[in-house]
This record gives sequence, structure tokens and C-alpha cells, in this order.
Amino acid sequence: MAKDAEKSTWKDFIWNSRTREFCGRTGSSWGLILLFYLVFYIFLAGMFCLTMYVMLQTLDDYKPTWQDRLGTPGMMIRPRGQAMEISYNTTNTETWDMYIKTLDNFLSPYNNSLQAEKNEECTPDQYFIQADSGDVKNNPKRSCQFNRTFLEKCSGLDDHTYGYQAGKPCIIIKLNRVIGMLPGKDGQAPFVTCGAKRYKVGKDEWKEDSDKIGEVEYYPENGTFNLMYYPYYGKKAQVNYSQPLVAIKFLNITLNEDINIECRIISNNIPPGSVRDKFAGKVSFKLRINTKG
Amino acid sequence: MGDKDGKSSPSKKNKKGKDMDELKKEVPITEHKMSIEECCRKFNTDIVQGLTNAKAAEFLIRDGPNCLTPPPTTPEWIKFCRQLFGGFSILLWTGAILCFLAYAIQAATEDEPAGDNLYLGIVLSVVVVVTGCFSYFQEAKSSKIMESFKNMVPQQALVIREGEKMTINAEEVVAGDLVEVKGGDRIPADLRVVSAHGCKVDNSSLTGESEPQSRSPDCTHDNPLETRNVAFFSTNCVEGTARGIVVCTGDRTVMGRIATLTSGLESGKTPIAKEIEHFIHLITGVAVFLGITFFILAVCLGYTWLEAVIFLIGIIVANVPEGLLATVTVCLTLTAKRMAKKNCLVKNLEAVETLGSTSTICSDKTGTLTQNRMTVAHMWFDNQIHEADTTEDQSGASFDKTSASWAALARVAALCNRAVFKAGQDQLPILKRDTAGDASESALLKCIELSCGSVKQIREKNKKVAEIPFNSTNKYQLSVHETEDPNDNRYLLVMKGAPERILDRCTTIIIQGKEQPMDEEMKESFQNAYMELGGLGERVLGFCHLLMPEDQYPKGFAFDCDDVNFTTESLCFVGLMSMIDPPRAAVPDAVGKCRSAGIKVIMVTGDHPITAKAIAKGVGIISEGNETVEDIASRLNIPVSQVNPRDAKACVIHGTDLKELSQDQMDDILRNHTEIVFARTSPQQKLIIVEGCQRLGAIVAVTGDGVNDSPALKKADIGVAMGISGSDVSKQAADMILLDDNFASIVTGVEEGRLIFDNLKKSIAYTLTSNIPEITPFLLFIIVNIPLPLGTITILCIDLGTDMVPAISLAYEAAESDIMKRQPRNPTRDKLVNERLISIAYGQIGMIQALGGFFSYFVILAENGFLPSILVGIRLNWDDRACNDLEDSYGQQWTYEQRKIVEFTCHTAFFVSIVVVQWADVIVCKTRRNSVFQQGMKNKILIFGLFEETALAAFLSYTPGMDVALRMFPLKPSWWFCAVPYSVLIFVYDEIRKLLIRRNPGGKWLSLSLCITFRPESCHEICICNFTHKSLIDTKTRKLSNASLFSSPTLSSYRLGGKGDILLSDGYRLYSYPYIFHLFLPPFIPSLARHVFRCPTP
Repeated sequence: MAKDAEKSTWKDFIWNSRTREFCGRTGSSWGLILLFYLVFYIFLAGMFCLTMYVMLQTLDDYKPTWQDRLGTPGMMIRPRGQAMEISYNTTNTETWDMYIKTLDNFLSPYNNSLQAEKNEECTPDQYFIQADSGDVKNNPKRSCQFNRTFLEKCSGLDDHTYGYQAGKPCIIIKLNRVIGMLPGKDGQAPFVTCGAKRYKVGKDEWKEDSDKIGEVEYYPENGTFNLMYYPYYGKKAQVNYSQPLVAIKFLNITLNEDINIECRIISNNIPPGSVRDKFAGKVSFKLRINTKG
Repeated sequence: MGDKDGKSSPSKKNKKGKDMDELKKEVPITEHKMSIEECCRKFNTDIVQGLTNAKAAEFLIRDGPNCLTPPPTTPEWIKFCRQLFGGFSILLWTGAILCFLAYAIQAATEDEPAGDNLYLGIVLSVVVVVTGCFSYFQEAKSSKIMESFKNMVPQQALVIREGEKMTINAEEVVAGDLVEVKGGDRIPADLRVVSAHGCKVDNSSLTGESEPQSRSPDCTHDNPLETRNVAFFSTNCVEGTARGIVVCTGDRTVMGRIATLTSGLESGKTPIAKEIEHFIHLITGVAVFLGITFFILAVCLGYTWLEAVIFLIGIIVANVPEGLLATVTVCLTLTAKRMAKKNCLVKNLEAVETLGSTSTICSDKTGTLTQNRMTVAHMWFDNQIHEADTTEDQSGASFDKTSASWAALARVAALCNRAVFKAGQDQLPILKRDTAGDASESALLKCIELSCGSVKQIREKNKKVAEIPFNSTNKYQLSVHETEDPNDNRYLLVMKGAPERILDRCTTIIIQGKEQPMDEEMKESFQNAYMELGGLGERVLGFCHLLMPEDQYPKGFAFDCDDVNFTTESLCFVGLMSMIDPPRAAVPDAVGKCRSAGIKVIMVTGDHPITAKAIAKGVGIISEGNETVEDIASRLNIPVSQVNPRDAKACVIHGTDLKELSQDQMDDILRNHTEIVFARTSPQQKLIIVEGCQRLGAIVAVTGDGVNDSPALKKADIGVAMGISGSDVSKQAADMILLDDNFASIVTGVEEGRLIFDNLKKSIAYTLTSNIPEITPFLLFIIVNIPLPLGTITILCIDLGTDMVPAISLAYEAAESDIMKRQPRNPTRDKLVNERLISIAYGQIGMIQALGGFFSYFVILAENGFLPSILVGIRLNWDDRACNDLEDSYGQQWTYEQRKIVEFTCHTAFFVSIVVVQWADVIVCKTRRNSVFQQGMKNKILIFGLFEETALAAFLSYTPGMDVALRMFPLKPSWWFCAVPYSVLIFVYDEIRKLLIRRNPGGKWLSLSLCITFRPESCHEICICNFTHKSLIDTKTRKLSNASLFSSPTLSSYRLGGKGDILLSDGYRLYSYPYIFHLFLPPFIPSLARHVFRCPTP
């Protein structure tokens, strides 16, 4: 009997036809509750929007409030490959075709014609500083040309396969954009150097592939990022900014083997990044070129 | 925090159920009706020689030792497991298991599974185990105090076997043994008395009778408990000697049956356990609802099934309030400690709250309400009733002691008295001293010692010459003494006894020290006084004396007491003295406080109805002016049957009547009488009364000290035993022990219990609120693909770190109003956590908090370059380890680690924001109705909690190494202030909400119905409360003009009159009980409420 009573109360709770109550409340009661919550949430949304608006008003349009997390700019390569692993088979076009396409796409804005149209030639080896005079912004800021031809053999203009077909692949390295960063002092430009990466193979056992990398060529010469491309003034002020690049070409890398490569930026004005961040001021990747079908 | 001991498997239960019913029946002893010879035959024993040793050994093997089977003790590991897996812990265990499940799925499907779920699972398990250990040790501590009560002294018994007297261990006594007991002995088994010499036994622990009962071989009553020729196991022989045949031993004795009944009883869940269960249902409901909703959403958004399942588990687990178990346990422990300081020892942590929910207290009389000591209460001399001081500390009023009649009365009482103080107690206060002798004689002795000085000296001055002790045929006791005056050679005859017998022997009476002839007028006034004192439930003794004429009884007269050779007629009546076991001093006040707290106090006693009623009147259980049916009948001079039982609010019910009542009649009595006294009840009947109250939905507390109370103590929702005078069995059965035997401590218990219930509500509201800002980040992470705003570690830092102290500090919060002036909570309606609390915590305050957190999150991301506009949908790239040149709103590029640091800084800021909004929340949760400005900030622990949580947050954010250990990063000072506007908003919003509640008690959007409680005695006190209850609302009549008032089923018709006064159809007396009226009111009623509900004048 007690069970029956319980059953009926449970049913009654969902829909009580006697009192016309759904889940213990009448329709009008539910309506009032919903109305209350509607009004309440609209008010809260309004309040949230207001605080967000006030916060956005305090922001500078051209430069973020804080940049302390970007002390050491990151470095990145193109093509990126699968999780920083570039591996292909020279005999199988499909395995490297996507790298070519990536590079073509990536480099198309650097075509000389485009650069000449949008950007100007700057004085090399010195910062291209375009200061604002007080509150009057000197906008839009001009940008320096970085022509695709600077990359010479890796420009993809002569060799459309960027050396991939021949087993002498080009990798393009870039330094992450950071607003206002001056990467070198005393007129010394930062440059990229690549070498073998020490990697762990077992407990307390390290290995490096320095003997397998072979000869490496850097473009532009010495793998430098010319100072004239700095400082960067941000997306809004410097719309046509062309990020300087460095290409490296492996001339006789050991084939059919995994090779771990690490490239670092050498600069007298960039602090070494934290140990935890594997991409601050350096970039490492794995390269494997297969020749056998 | 599980149930009490005494669980059994279902198969056992059936058999046990039968046994229990058997035990609930009355005692089956029949030997008292047999002749001694029959008895001997039955047990193969001899009235002179006793059993043979061989037979005794045989019986011992057959029946087992003569001792009570100790109640089955729960093994320690089971108790520990109960702490680990009971109630709230289940919720956390489920959470932990789900976490491990989620981690297992992740580990099986992903290469680098995030450890969050694993850590969360481990932390949840650790929390449960640590809290379990904590409450286990807490309860172990209480039970240790309990064990110290146990009386370890082995009992000895004097038996006659093969004609030889021998002292053996009481355990070896067998049925049929011939046993001898003398004053001071404990009776070793249930005895059929075969011979007795002035033997009296104290049955108070068994029957509740405060007076020692005389024992004799004759059967005087069919009921074995009432008959004179049975003495019961473990009661005490007060004086005299007796010899009896053992009829029952061990568990088969009356006492054993009660103990077995007690240990076999199962008591239900404590109210707080029920509340926690309800809370778990609610939380689980919300968690599953959220989980499934977002599971479906996630699937719709294109996540894989496996991912969606992980999300589902994540959301369900996120709803588990990790810190609440610890908070609740600590809050209860704090209260338990506070109560222990006030001499209430709580055996089970959950029982701390039970007294607060109690709506009925069934109290034993002897030893609980009374001092369990006969004391002279009234005297009648000089044709006037004088009141003696019965208080324990002699603080009461005294009477006029100058009258010569009093001197004469005191002399008679001192001389005609065989009681003496035991030696070596001179330093003790007179009332505390032990005496040898009859209880009433001891009472007289103490009374005279108090008012006239040393009785010993009086007796020395008046040497006793002859004495006739009391016997049941004479009904008097007399002694002859020399007078104080050495020149007066007359002898003084003093006599005391049953007043009517004494009066018959008197021809004169002493008035103002002068002898006057006893005329009819005097006799009538004697009769009136005798009736009056008897009506007070007191035992009345009459006193008279006679200075024997010297010529008839010269000095050296040989008084012969056996063949009385002197006059015992024509005496001079001196006065009456009456005795009672008086109530403890603190009891009337405590009963009054319970009354005003809406708690019904019922007296359940084994004592006689008249005494019970007198004490009930004395302590206020029957309040002044209230009448029983019998009172009304005698006042109106009509037969009892003609009185409408509804007219009487009080009633005294005799145990024999109780036996004949059906369940419905019983319910009817319990429902319709506010002041009930049950007299002459057996232990089984006490149990039935408790069950009856519980059947009517009351939460019942039972107080008692005797073995006869223990089944009721066990069955009650909370059994309260007396620490000093209570028997071991009763202490074992109780949940709470009053260490100072002070009934008034119950009031403390009620107060603390109600306070902790209120404060737990606040603690839970506070803790639950932060669940929303903890869940919403994960939901938005799934739905709109933003970087995760709050991580698992930071959630744990809130739940188990910063939230703890403030939540616990709410347990120290003072009450908002006088909690002892409210009705007890209705367990079906006033829940610890109800939908409204969840709605406010989750839907309102929690949402504001979440916005505060999100605001800081957006501020940090925006100030670092990620404006809100690009955040939506950024998650896939954001969490891609290979993407190390993610572009922000300003064109800068970020490595994975760089943006993760920003993300973790966001977690830290979100965490700090929650701390900031929780400041406001804890202040808001301090009160439920009052403004903080009314309540004040007097709770020092709470203020400490505010500082502590802030300091902890700062510590976690700024300590070097935290970035590696907990992935928390230092915040810029400005980020601490992001959530401040939201904190202020919470405070302002809730103050306004409370203002509205105070202004519109019962406004419609706050609550749908009004409950109006009319107080019994003073009906001008009308309390309007605003809890929601709808089931009693009538749907037919919704207009104010004829709004129906509904009441408990026994009261039917109330109407709201046209002008706005509540008209009661049948007069004033219906207000006598705090009935609760429910009425449906349209939304505009609050403004009318105050003037509509004027109390009608009687």
C-alpha cells in the first residue's frame, strides 16, 4: 500500500491533474520563474557586456598590454610536416607533393612583383624605426621588401620542387612576430644555425646525428634575419609586413634514416627561452628521406 | 556515517521479526500464581535443601550461564567501512570511479592522455578516505567514553544447594536454585519469593516506580510485574531479607528480555542522513541532466562518441562538491564538541542534528524528570498546609518553623523513625548523604535534620524504650521514649502511619501548640488536607503522640510490644507529612522552553497515574489550567463518559488501558491531546508509544535512565540517556548521553541541533555556489571551443582549499532569530537542500560568479593579445602542440608553451576571481532572511576565513615553483580586481532579495503559499513563514474572499470572514495546538497578510 502511495505521488509530482501542476508547480508559476530567469539573465548579460566594453576600451589598438610571455620569440619551419616530422620518398611524387604546395602557398606573397608593389626597399642592416610623434600615430607604417629571390635556390623559382625530388630538400625557417622586438643590438643581425639535435635513446644515453646531416646551405647568406625588418608594428599599423625568412638546404643528407635537426637563432639581444618551451628561439624537427620504393 | 548497529541478513530477519513480536508481548512468568510446592516440583528443587550440585550443573549446561548476552558488537572494520562508504561518501566514490573510467578510456585511445582525470580520481578517493578516518576516530572517541561507564564488578550470589549455603558467582546461578538476598544485594535472577522478612526491593530501573516495594511470599496480583512475590534480576534489595526460587536466568529474565528486545531493535536513518540522501538525489539529478544535455550537444557538434563520453563523465564529476563531505563532517564534529562541553555526549555524529528536528520528546519520569529520591514536600499542622523546600540545593521557600505544633511534629517524625545516616558523611550536604532505611523514613530524617538540626541528638535525648515496627495489618509504627526533661518522668509515645488509621486513634489535636478536642470540623479539615495531598500524588503519613500519664506508666514500666500492655488510643494528633520524589529544579524551565520551541513533551512512566500526573503538573508537562477528561468530569459533576474527549487537552493514560487501545485510537490520542501522560507503562508499551508517535510523522526523542526505557531509547530517532544515574543498558541503547543528568541539557541539544541544521544549509549553499563557475568553463570549452578557462587543479584548489575554512566558519554563525521560538522543522517539507536553494546557488549567485570568472579570463587573454573575437573556435589550434606560430589579434605569433602559460595564468585568475566572488557569497550565505547589517560581522572565524582564503590564493599564485608544481602563475595586481564588480553585484543582489523576502513574507514569486502558525498559549504570536507547500492547497477556491484554510485532518472547517478575521467555527479552544494552516493567496496578499490575520480574541 505504501508502495502504491509512493508511485502515485511520483506520478503526481510530474503531472498532477487535480491541481494542474507540472513538477510541483502550476503553469503560471513555471511561467513566472522562467520570466524571472529571463529578466535576470538579460540583466547579467548586460552587466557582462558593460564590463567587457569597459575593459576593451582600456586596450591599445596597436600593441597588447602585456608582452612578457613573448620575451623569446618562437621559431617555426615550413613545411611543418606531421607533428614536426618531414618524411617522404623521392621516387613517390605524392609523398612530397604536399610540401611543395605548402611552400608555394607560403611563398606566394613574397613574389618580387607583389613585394615591389606593396613594400619599399629599405636600408639594410639597420632598424626601420617609424616612431609616432606623441599622440599622433604615424600610421599606416611602411614595410620592407623581402623578395622571394632572396631565398635563391630555395625560392622555388628555378627548382619547382625545392630540391625535394633530388633528395636535397629546402626547409624555410621563420622567427615568430613579436610587436616591437629588436632582435639584435650593435647592428649585429640575428642568424640561424642548424645542427644535429641531441636526443635520448635510452636511460642516460644520448645520441646525435651530426655526421649524417652533411652539408647545409643557408639563404639569405649566413641565414641572417636582416635588422631592417624590425621592429614589427603589429597587424593593424603595419598591414603589409613581410616576415623575413631563412631557408636551409640539405645538400647531402644521409638517406633512408631518421635525422633529428635543431635550428637555433643566434642573437645578442634575444634571451634564451625557458627549458620547458622547445620552440622558444629554436626549432627542432625530424627529417627522413627515403629513396627505395 | 551509517545506520546504527544491529543489522541482519534478510533470511535472519524473518525469524527475528517473529522473535521481536514475541518480545514485545508482556512477561510470561506464571510461577507467582503457583504455590511454593508446585514451584518446587516444576524446578525439581527442594524448599529447604535447594538443588543438588549435580542438578545445578546439569541446569547450567542446559540453560547456559546466568548473564545477559551482550549486544552483538559491530567489528571495528565494519564500522570503518561504514564511515568510508556511507551516505555522502558514495557520491564521491562514484565520482572517483567515473574519473578512473574516463582516464582508462583516454589511456586506451590517446597517446599522451591528460592526467587530469587520474589525479581527480585519486584526490576524490583520498578525500573520502581521510574524511572517513576522521569521522571514524571521532566516533571511536565517543564510544571510548561510553566504555568507561561499563560496570566491571562481578556479582556474587548466596545460594543453598544440598542444604548448604554457599556464595557463588552470579553467573552460575540456575533455575531452581534457592537464593537468599539481603538488604544491599543485587538480585541475581528472577526469583519467586518463598519467605521474606521486611524485604523491600527497588524496582525503579525496571518499572520506574520510585518507591521501594515490599516482597512477600503471597501472590497479590496477576501481573508478574505487580505481584509481591517476584523479585527481578538486577534490581536491588533495599532492606530486609528474602529467600526465593530462581525461575528464570540470563536472557530469559524480565530484564534479559528487555535487553534482547533493545539490541534487536533497528532504528531508522537519522533525519540528517535522510536529508543528505535527498541532497545527493538532487545533485545527481542536476549532474546527470547537465551531463546528458551536453553529451547530446557534443555529439551534435561533431565530437566523436568517445570524446563525448569523456565530456559526459567530466561534467558529472564536476558536479560533485569535493569539499562538502569534509565540511559537513567538520561542522557536525564542531557541534558535537560544543555539545560535549555542555555535557551532552553524542555517540553518533549524525545524531548531533536530530534533537534539532525533534518534534516530540517522550520522557521517563523517575530519575529523568525527578530526583529519584523521596523528599518531604508538604506538611499539615495548625490546620494549614505548609510547603517544604524540595529543591536539590535548598534554594526554595521555607515555611514558618516557629509554631509549637511544628516542634511536636518534628519530634514525632524524628523519634518514630528507624532510618539513620550512614557513617562518615558529615562533610556532605544533608541531601546528598546516604541513609540506611526506608525511603520515606529517610525523607523524614533528612527533612528533620535540615530544619531542626541533628536527629541523632534528639534521639539521644529521648531514649527509646519500646518500639512496634510497621506492619501491614496495623498500618502504623510506634515507639515509646523518655522525655527530654530529666524532671519529667512521663514517657512519650510517638506514632506514625496511614493517616486515617492514626486519626481513628486520636481524640485531641494540637493547634498552635495547644491540645484541643478533635471535633467534626477538625476531622473534615483533616480529610480535606489528606485528600489534597493525596491528590498531589504524594505519600501521606499521619503523626500523633501522647505523654503517658505517670500514674499509669511510672518510670521503669515494662512496655511489652508483642502483647501490647499500654494504651494506643486517645492520642493527640500532631499533623501530616507528605512525601514525593520531587522534580529536578531545572526541569520545569526546560519543559517550558521545549514547549515554546514547539516540541510536544509526553511523559511515559512506570509509576502510578496520580504521582505521574502530579509531577507532570509540577514540571509543566500538563500546563496550568489544562484539564484531563476526569478533571472536567469532576468539575462539571458528570460521568466521564459524557465528556467530549476533544475538550480535554491533557490526558493521563493508564498502562492497562493502553493495552486495549487499537492503533487508530492510539493515533487519535497522540494527535488530539497536547499534553499526555502515560502511567504504569511496561517497557514494551513505551516502545509502542514511540512507534505511535513516529507513525504520525513525528521525530521522537526519548529520555530515560532505566532498563525499562532502553527499548524506547533505541527505537527513538534519538535516545537520550542519563550519564550518572542511567543504567548501562540504557546508555548502550541511547544516541546521546547527558553527562550531568540534567534534563535542561536537552534544550541545549535542541538549540545546537537547530542551529547546525540552519548553518549546514548555509555551508552547503556556499559550497554549492562555486560549482557553477567550476562547471561552466568546461561547458564553454566544449561548446564554443575556447581555450579552457579553469583547469582541474584549480578547481580542486577551490573545493579543497580556499572554500573550506569559510564554509566551516558558517557553522559558527549565530542564529538569525530566536530558534527556540520556532516550530520544529517539518521533515517532509523543510529540507536541508531544496530546489530553491539549488536555484539560488546554481541559477543566480553561481551564474554571477561564473561571469566574474569569465570576465577575468577575457581580460587576461585580451591584455595578452587574444581578443574575445578570435577566441571562439581557436581551441583546436590552441591545444595543438605542433602549432608554434599561432597568431593573436595583434599579429604576434605564439608558441604552444607561451600560450599555455597564458592559459594557466587565466586558470589562476579564474581561481582568484572565484575567491573574490566567494567573499561576497560567504557574507551573503551568513543570513537567510536578515540583512548583514542587522546580523553584523561578529563571526570571527568567518573573518579569519576571508583572510585565510585570500592569503591561500595569493600563496598559490605567487610562490616560486607553483608554475611547475600546480601550473599556477603570478597575477598582475590589476587582475585581482576583475571580479570585484561581480562580488559587489552578488552582495547587492542578495541584500535586495532578502529585503524583498522581509518586506513580503510569502510573496508569490518567493513562495506560493503562506503558512501561518498559531501558537498554543498565546495566540497573539503569529508567525508567518514562507516555505512552499502546495499539496494542501485547494484548487476550488482561490479568491481571497473565500480562501480556504486547511489544517491537519482532524480540524475541518475554518473560513476567512468577509472583513478579514479568521473565524473559527467552534470557538477558542481550537487554537490550543500549534496547528499549521495553509492557505492559497494571490500575489498581492503580503500587504494584506498582516491585517488579515489578526488573532481573534477568545
